[in-house]
Amino acid sequence: MADAATHTHDEHARPGFFTRWFMSTNHKDIGILYLFFSATIGFVSVALTVYMRMELMNPGVQYMCAEGARFVADTAAECMPNGHLWNVMITYHGVLMMFFVVIPALFGGFGNYFMPLMIGAPDMAFPRMNNLSFWMYVAGSSLGVASLLSPGGNGQLGSGVGWVLYAPLSTNEGGYSMDLAIFAVHLSGASSILGAINMITTFLNMRAPGMTLHKTPLFAWSIVVTAFLILLSLPVLAGAITMLLTDRNFGTAFFDASAGGDPILYQHLLWFFGHPEVYMIIVPGFGIISHVISTFSKKPIFGYLPMVYAMIAIGVLGFVVWAHHMYAVGLSTTQQSYFMLATMVIAVPTGVKIFSWIATMWGGSIEFKTPMLFAFGFLFLFTIGGVTGIVLSQAAIDRAYHDTYYVVAHFHYVMSLGAVFCIFAGVYYWIGKMSGRQYPEWAGKLHFWTMFIGANITFFPQHFLGRQGMPRRYIDYPEQFAQWNFVSSIGAFITFASFIFFIGVVFYTLKWGKKVTDPAYWGEHADTLEWTLSNPPPEHTFETLPTPDMWDKSNH
Amino acid sequence: MTSENPDPFKRTDTPIYHVTLWPNRSLGRVGFRNTMLLVIVGTTIPMIPLFKAASSLWILLFGIVPVALLYLFFIRNYLDGRLTEEIRIYPDLIAVERREPKGKILRWHANPYWLRIHMHNTPIENYLTLEGNQRTIELGAFLSPEERLTLKADIEKVIHGLDINA
Repeated sequence: MADAATHTHDEHARPGFFTRWFMSTNHKDIGILYLFFSATIGFVSVALTVYMRMELMNPGVQYMCAEGARFVADTAAECMPNGHLWNVMITYHGVLMMFFVVIPALFGGFGNYFMPLMIGAPDMAFPRMNNLSFWMYVAGSSLGVASLLSPGGNGQLGSGVGWVLYAPLSTNEGGYSMDLAIFAVHLSGASSILGAINMITTFLNMRAPGMTLHKTPLFAWSIVVTAFLILLSLPVLAGAITMLLTDRNFGTAFFDASAGGDPILYQHLLWFFGHPEVYMIIVPGFGIISHVISTFSKKPIFGYLPMVYAMIAIGVLGFVVWAHHMYAVGLSTTQQSYFMLATMVIAVPTGVKIFSWIATMWGGSIEFKTPMLFAFGFLFLFTIGGVTGIVLSQAAIDRAYHDTYYVVAHFHYVMSLGAVFCIFAGVYYWIGKMSGRQYPEWAGKLHFWTMFIGANITFFPQHFLGRQGMPRRYIDYPEQFAQWNFVSSIGAFITFASFIFFIGVVFYTLKWGKKVTDPAYWGEHADTLEWTLSNPPPEHTFETLPTPDMWDKSNH
Repeated sequence: MTSENPDPFKRTDTPIYHVTLWPNRSLGRVGFRNTMLLVIVGTTIPMIPLFKAASSLWILLFGIVPVALLYLFFIRNYLDGRLTEEIRIYPDLIAVERREPKGKILRWHANPYWLRIHMHNTPIENYLTLEGNQRTIELGAFLSPEERLTLKADIEKVIHGLDINA
């Protein structure tokens, strides 16, 4: 029999720095590790875009010269364009952002930290596997960066094949940089699959007593929908890139048409993963935005159940629309019309969400704190991105827009302005909870406005460039496109400045921010379980399971 | 009393009060089955095109491994929660048997007449202990505070109603 123990649950000594951050099994610590590491990789990835926008600012090639990459333009010196360097820039910006920045921040960071808290679980179901997921992600990111710096195609460093790693380009790329990139994606995939299993088990099996599926907070729901997307689609990607690897190294010919393979098969496999991937990026953001809008409108979320089922519907539909990325590969018209219709259907659940957010704000007492500003920015810009998405879903129109800057503008509106705004909304919403210190409100607002204006100046003109016919993935362009490219580059510099400022705000807050002691410092409409805890929460939370009166305040 | 009943855990007569406590798991059997079905179907459908080429069947491994992992980890999670405390009260005996996840069985018994029931509030809310037979044990530490309160009331009700001459 368990003898009665009068021990307290936190009687063991606080772990030292190394134990806490390198051997952590605590979901809150791992969440913070994910946030910081993904921010670091994010900085690398953003730095690449600044260099790209510098190059595109004016017609001609000024910086990425075959004679050597420059950071200061020199009209006197000879400059032959170095297309490989450009291709490497776009490739690693894509690979890092898609695999190592946004998903780890939203799913790994906020998901790890807040999903168990919101459902009242003491930790994740498998804390040590959680640690394994994080370090596999770190190893994967390191391989990704190593791939950037190791010998690749054209006798230069890095691979210039685009983040989609299309065969036969990727199977013919020289050097071992491409192999490292494939291993990086493998590791990140394994890490995400283990993370997804952990999240699913935790969500399904460790909810507080009485918290039925229809009472679970929306953010927790968004995390589990994402986890299912990961679990079902990442194995397909892992298979596809393994086939790439054997094509490259072991003489197979899965994607080599001259030996009976099919390069289009790779595109199907890639996009069967790639489209759900887009929703893995944005769905956790939906969860964050729901809580932020409800909190700052001082109303419970409108249409809780439709919101849940809309997320599930988006997840399911995400699996049946992949070939709309491939209208130009020679699909039959019947196939094209199916993918066109299926794609447009996604606008329905997305519309349900957008209208529910608006209805949540309707008649509410809205307070424009920084997280709410980011939520507003998200709502507005994500809708613009969604509308251009409907335009692009038309197979006939896509003939003109395919691989133009219109596509670049579209997916940056949904991801750079959609998902990234969600990350910032989450950071400002929860930084007081996670650190015990609050950011200066003016600084948050300044960050929002510079970012909002900068990002719009960057990406809105790219719609014009696309309509004028400027293709993606080129280092140079005719001078007819010069004007909007110049404007777009100015926007990119403003956005970069706002990102640097944000890093400053975070470090200022962590070190000197005003202490917040009120557990629910955003008011009573922030009513999920994390708001019943101190700032920052104690090392161990909900060892005694929470009771319905703690989380069922509004009865949804 | 214990001399008459050498093993109090092998009594065959019906106890007056019999309850089994276990930790909360929010997904039932049906939910688990449905989850696995969803994942298996969802993983199989995109793999169907691979069946036409025998040389690419090894790719199936990438589908099988995650599904198997999900299944095994769920089982592991259920096993971690396979903790029960069984309480039986007879007129002359209270017996508690605790089965731990790794199969360890812990037992305690006492005479209900001398039993003391304690409830403390620090540091765990409504921490419930039973004292008797020169030992103090904890009860239902994995339950919620309210559940322990109900459990205490139930046990007290039974004990107070016992006829010591029975």
